[in-house]
Amino acid sequence: MVKLPPIHIGKLSVLLAILVWLGLLFVDLVRLFGIINEMDSGISDEITWILEILFFFTLYGFYNYSVGKNIQGDFVNLLWRAASTGIFATGIAVITELFYISMGDSKLATEPFLKNFFYHVNFALTAIFLISSALLWKHLILYQKNKKVVQQWQTFEFAMLLAMFFVFFNKNNFDYSFLFAMVILFAITIVLSGNLKWIPYLTFKEKWKSLLFLFLILVCTGYLFRRLLAYGEAEIYQVNLTDNLFLMALFMFIFTYALFSFLVTLFNLPTSSVFEQKLTEAINFQRLSQSIQPDDDEEQVLDILLDSCMSASYSDGAWIEINPEGQNEGINQLRFLDEATKGELSELIKTQKSAIGWASTDQPEMLQPLLVRLEHPRYESTLLIPLVINKVAIGRMVLCKEVRDGFNKEMVNIISTFVRQACIAVENHRLLNQAIQNERYQEELKIAQRVQKALLPAKLDHPDQFDICAFSNAADEVGGDYYDTYKLDENRYVLIIGDVSGKGTSAAFHMAQMKGVFQSLIQLNLSPAQFMIKANSALSKCLERNHFITASIFLINIAEQKICHSRAGHVPTLFYKAKEAKSDYLFFDGLGLGILRNKQYENHVQEETFTYESGDILVLITDGIVEAKNQKGQQFGFERIRSLVEIHHTKSPKEIQNQLIDSLHVFVGGDGMIEDDYSMMVVKFQNSLAQTNQ
Amino acid sequence: MLRLEKTKENQSDILSLFGEVDASNSVILDEAIQELVASGTKSLVIDGKNLEYISSAGLGVFMSYLEDFQDQEISMKICELTPRVFEVFRILGLDQLIPIYPDRAAAFAE
Repeated sequence: MVKLPPIHIGKLSVLLAILVWLGLLFVDLVRLFGIINEMDSGISDEITWILEILFFFTLYGFYNYSVGKNIQGDFVNLLWRAASTGIFATGIAVITELFYISMGDSKLATEPFLKNFFYHVNFALTAIFLISSALLWKHLILYQKNKKVVQQWQTFEFAMLLAMFFVFFNKNNFDYSFLFAMVILFAITIVLSGNLKWIPYLTFKEKWKSLLFLFLILVCTGYLFRRLLAYGEAEIYQVNLTDNLFLMALFMFIFTYALFSFLVTLFNLPTSSVFEQKLTEAINFQRLSQSIQPDDDEEQVLDILLDSCMSASYSDGAWIEINPEGQNEGINQLRFLDEATKGELSELIKTQKSAIGWASTDQPEMLQPLLVRLEHPRYESTLLIPLVINKVAIGRMVLCKEVRDGFNKEMVNIISTFVRQACIAVENHRLLNQAIQNERYQEELKIAQRVQKALLPAKLDHPDQFDICAFSNAADEVGGDYYDTYKLDENRYVLIIGDVSGKGTSAAFHMAQMKGVFQSLIQLNLSPAQFMIKANSALSKCLERNHFITASIFLINIAEQKICHSRAGHVPTLFYKAKEAKSDYLFFDGLGLGILRNKQYENHVQEETFTYESGDILVLITDGIVEAKNQKGQQFGFERIRSLVEIHHTKSPKEIQNQLIDSLHVFVGGDGMIEDDYSMMVVKFQNSLAQTNQ
Repeated sequence: MLRLEKTKENQSDILSLFGEVDASNSVILDEAIQELVASGTKSLVIDGKNLEYISSAGLGVFMSYLEDFQDQEISMKICELTPRVFEVFRILGLDQLIPIYPDRAAAFAE
């Protein structure tokens, strides 16, 4: 299969343009030959016109392609392209003119074929210059385009298309229709020439370059126009290629737009520094808002801030002062001043009444920048700007100028904006760091939570003679409640429940200590009261002064069906007696652990022994359950627990426990929080004899 | 919410508590007692007529002064506790260490 080479539009249109131009030259020369030799060559003017239009089209095609590809908003380069093409076309035209002047009246000078050839060369170059420039102008006009401008340009292109074919209608006569068409095209040109948005974006230097190039373009256009008019007047060129509405309109367009651009650029020169300044400010503003990353330093922001503010106000010296109590004492930003001058200026500012009042305000967020006149040999005016972060003044920025009243309202405004932006950046930076820190604490707390869960027994020791279950929930991530079971021997089991005063992390630490103390003491085979006395003396040494622990201990002897119980300030335990079908809280004197940290404690602790029977239930609780409040502020209380246990006494410990927890949640309300840690342990004694008999 | 009121009556400093004492505001109670101690009081009566609730953190405040008051011979009495709050003192056993009276007159009579 034959594969077609890829079509290169640029090369193809150049080739076509050259071919068309050669064709045009050939046709005209043949016609000229016919006229000179008084022969009818049979070539009508229309063929020349068609070839001319074709030539324009191919040029348009080439430049539309090449300009569109290469221009990326570099206006000076764009103008240079137009100017260089113009200079080249003008140069060739000047050389031909000089050639004919130097020839004088010689034979060669009157040679019609040679003259026609040069005419065609000049025509081609002029057309190239005009069409390429027009397409370059298109880019300038359509810079920052909107729909309206695009429509204007399309109208212009359409009008120019019509103008190309105008020659068939007008036969190259300079008549009223030609004038009328010119006026219409001129009107469109003027409208288009108002689109000069690219000029302000030029820097001062670029503007000077642009002025030079525009001037060259104007000169070239003027000269080429004059040349073509001169050709038009000469009779020797049989078919006039250049007195063409399309070319004339293009001349007018190129010249008018170049003239407008030239004048506007010229008048923009003095204010270009202002525009550049504004652009720098916008960029600085962006830098300020983007500069700070979580790992970065706040000083970096203040550094950018000081530079931005100095350039915005043309200051001759500046520094930033940070209040000594702040976290950024190390910051020392100083510009174009030495420490001695800074000291002198600081002293001078301190003597100003307005500055004293300004500095001692108690509402820093309402503080405005303050202008101060100074009696300093060099710096005559200063501007004080507060740096307020999160409603706290962390310091101030001081800008100094060598002229009196050197800061105007616009400068103060832009500086205030800069400062606000910088302060927001610093504030966000701090918040972000804080958030990261908090996240780390959360992680740590989660670990603490896991560790604490492991402190509670995973499995509760118990014989067949009683069934047991337990539950604990902390109000925060960690809490101060504790329960445990211990098997002393085949017949004796110990149950413990404890509660540290307060809640949260401090309670959690004490809870861990409590577990350590209880686990050691429990192995000493002490009576419940002795256990509490030892526990009190051990815990008194490690508890904080205003913390205490309450606990209950039960020593269950399954052989004798007896329970020995001691209570150290803990919430009384509910004991349900199956035989009597009623329950009571086991209450007798017993002081919390860590309250009396001396021998006197022994007088405040008791123990009681009682028997149990099958079906009896013990419900050990912590005060979190009793004191849980509903939305009306009522407490869950002892009585609700008692009646719930009495109603559900036939159920298993697990079911009773679930019943109690569910009722508690219903009582507190759907999304109500129980403010304290709460725990419970439910024990139900079973008829072991009945079981063994089976 | 906790509100405190300090008055003087019968050569005693009266500290009246209004509202609830919990972990979040027990510090305020502690500071108030510290101030009274610093002012040189020898007899302190806590009026609990309007005290609706006291958490273990609040009890911890009273507890922490027991030894100091014994050493400095400052008497601390509590009067007119509501039944609910009294129950809390009783369960913990603090009623054995701090004298609790049904009303101010009884407190002064001792």
